[in-house]
Amino acid sequence: MPGGLPVAEAVERAQANLESIKPTCSAELLALLELCEAGYATLGDGFDDSALEGLYAIAVKGIGAGEVCGAPPVDIALTSFCDLLDHLRTLRRFDRAAVGVHVQAWRLLMSPGVPKAGAEQILDGLLKVRARFAAEAAAAAKSDAA
Amino acid sequence: MALDASSRARFNLEKASILLLDDTAMGMSILVQIVTGLGAKQLYRCNAYEMAQEVAQTHEIDLAIVDALAPSGQGYDFVQWLRRETQEPNCYAPVLITTAHTPTSDIVRARDAGGHFIIKKPLAPVVLLERIVWVARASRPFLFTGSYVGPDRRFRDDGPPDGVGRRREDLVKAEAEAKAQAEGEAQPEAEAPPERSTG
Repeated sequence: MPGGLPVAEAVERAQANLESIKPTCSAELLALLELCEAGYATLGDGFDDSALEGLYAIAVKGIGAGEVCGAPPVDIALTSFCDLLDHLRTLRRFDRAAVGVHVQAWRLLMSPGVPKAGAEQILDGLLKVRARFAAEAAAAAKSDAA
Repeated sequence: MALDASSRARFNLEKASILLLDDTAMGMSILVQIVTGLGAKQLYRCNAYEMAQEVAQTHEIDLAIVDALAPSGQGYDFVQWLRRETQEPNCYAPVLITTAHTPTSDIVRARDAGGHFIIKKPLAPVVLLERIVWVARASRPFLFTGSYVGPDRRFRDDGPPDGVGRRREDLVKAEAEAKAQAEGEAQPEAEAPPERSTG
């Protein structure tokens, strides 16, 4: 009898293992969301690097959990959020609406039964916001280099 | 090289010593569930850089799966340390770096850390397995330079770009053309066809 596992069986077992931690994972992701909402609520009007770094540290910890919790759009939203926070820190700017829409989207996408089309629409909006700041950060980097 | 998730090909991680580094309980839990599902049994779970250092100094490891540990990026520091400061065989151990997000300021750090692959989260079991198999099969030469220690990062051989010849062939062709031109300039008459008399 050969040792080891066939690929198909191993992948299936790994998926089943991930399924078993779904409830814990959902609870931890929700706890991170609450932390993030609390952090967002305390933000002032001006640029505050350490506050944005704090939000980044929370959001980045959630990436990867969405897939396990059965909410893969959350991973995309959190990646967009981290990109946005990275761009804002690079630009040394603060945009309450852009940050707020990501925090609200995280909450919405965590709700059970979000229709696929609705989730896609939310993600589309987030990606547009992110793209705006990405373009500004790229332009700033280009002018710094020149 | 994509791994077919329905493949019946077998592999064995049962005897592999695997170092896992992730500073969040959730991240570690996801990683552990995946690698144990893939058949790994001997795991060193480290939730901090220092803990991973201790394991790497006291145990032989066959594989390390290291999270970048954003936002500090200490995971990259650990891989660099592993490559430069540990004894054989650990300094050559296959390293997969996982990352949830890479800030712009960390891109160079990620590239130069010395890992074999960087895998973006969310982690899919089949992707992780694919990378493990890939790293086990491919023997990439190790480079030791002042600024980089790790596997050769130029490991893809896609051949010459479409429609473009190999550089070596271009060189031979260019040399032949230059030689022909030089000979032509030196003896123009000899090359010119004799003029016919029409008279």
